Amino acid sequence: MRFLSTEKLVRPLKGDFTPSLQAGPPAEILSIASRRSATAACLVNQSAEIARAGRAMAQRFHRRGKLIAFGSGPAASDAQHVTVEFLHPAIVGKRALPAVCLLADVASLTGAAEAEGWAEAFATPLRQIDRPVDIALALSSRREPENVRRALRVARDRGLLTVSLVGELDGPSAVVDHRIVAGSGDPLLAREIQATAYHVLWELVHVFLEQPAMLTRTEA
Amino acid sequence: MKHAAEGSLASLYPLVHASAADGRSVLAEIERSTAEKAREAASLREETLLRLADRLISCASAMAIRFGLGGRLFTFGNGGSSTDASAVAQLFLQPPSGRPVAASSLAAETAVVTALANDVGFDAVFARQLAALAEPTDIALGLSTSGNSENVLRAFEEASRRGLLTIGFAGYDGGRMAETDTIDHLFVIHSPSAHRIQETRTTLYHALWELSQYALARQTRRDRVG
Repeated sequence: MRFLSTEKLVRPLKGDFTPSLQAGPPAEILSIASRRSATAACLVNQSAEIARAGRAMAQRFHRRGKLIAFGSGPAASDAQHVTVEFLHPAIVGKRALPAVCLLADVASLTGAAEAEGWAEAFATPLRQIDRPVDIALALSSRREPENVRRALRVARDRGLLTVSLVGELDGPSAVVDHRIVAGSGDPLLAREIQATAYHVLWELVHVFLEQPAMLTRTEA
Repeated sequence: MKHAAEGSLASLYPLVHASAADGRSVLAEIERSTAEKAREAASLREETLLRLADRLISCASAMAIRFGLGGRLFTFGNGGSSTDASAVAQLFLQPPSGRPVAASSLAAETAVVTALANDVGFDAVFARQLAALAEPTDIALGLSTSGNSENVLRAFEEASRRGLLTIGFAGYDGGRMAETDTIDHLFVIHSPSAHRIQETRTTLYHALWELSQYALARQTRRDRVG
């Protein structure tokens, strides 16, 4: 026995959606879909940079480096997703690679922010766990916020490979080894593009790790 | 949930493996397959949006009614799906525009999740939280790429018993989530790839958020007129 019959509650609303009475898909859905029509082109245009980033990451893992992921707001959940992707791959038979994110321990995160300020929230913990052979992977659904820029700067100074997935390049950004730009002012669209980007990066890392000869080349 | 169906990377990138001896063409081949995956992701996204259009709209309206009644959104999932549970909750709670509504992820609280897993069992980690937190006007939104996560299925049982609106996201053929009658609005993304499923799922819950904002705005207008 349901408290509310959603069917009954929903039915009177149907009159609002006149498009659904027509033959084609509702206008709201068409608008949502059409705003996404350029998402493929965005990654296609950057496929060379993605390939280079994937190889550089594989080289670090090959040298026993680890991945350190971070990001703010919705990108924090993507940083956690990337971390579990590498550490415990969803696809059977792929080896676990070392990955941590700077977000999971709320005591440490808020402790760092409390002591040093929110701008240092990622740079401070990064300094405590990094080695020069590691990879710093930043995710931002808009432009890079200050705490992400600072952590990337610290990471690069300390010899880490720096990779930044960023929504748009409007405003200040850190100097990094590889940057993949979603090129959308819509942070939701940027996340969708970045999800494909980091899944492909994961796959490429394993492709390169299975072909060690490819890791030693500097130019292809 | 592990996905065994996807086989080896050699099968995903046959030409890469074939051309590995000839290193010069490898990066070019990887660029090509990267572009191919981006196109696959985009077409699955569009296809799925259009296929599920009416269901998304009716689900968004049902959500708006609950939010209008003061209902809250509870999200849950495991692994990568737990990060989507967080992202969905954050989006409804702190939207880039529009009206914020109460939302939280049941996977976020480490102390609660580990306590329940340790004392009761991992299958209960979400259901028990709903039993303690949820009101009948609330909404339960669960994500499982396989559709088979036991703790997600248990949470839907609990939510349904308590009269919550229940919304599920699954991949492949929907797994056990497609067989239960405890999910009011089920969105199944058909693809052999866990990655493509998860990417399209992100689009679907973004669409659901946007549509629920339209429905909330219409509802507010209607309330004013009425």
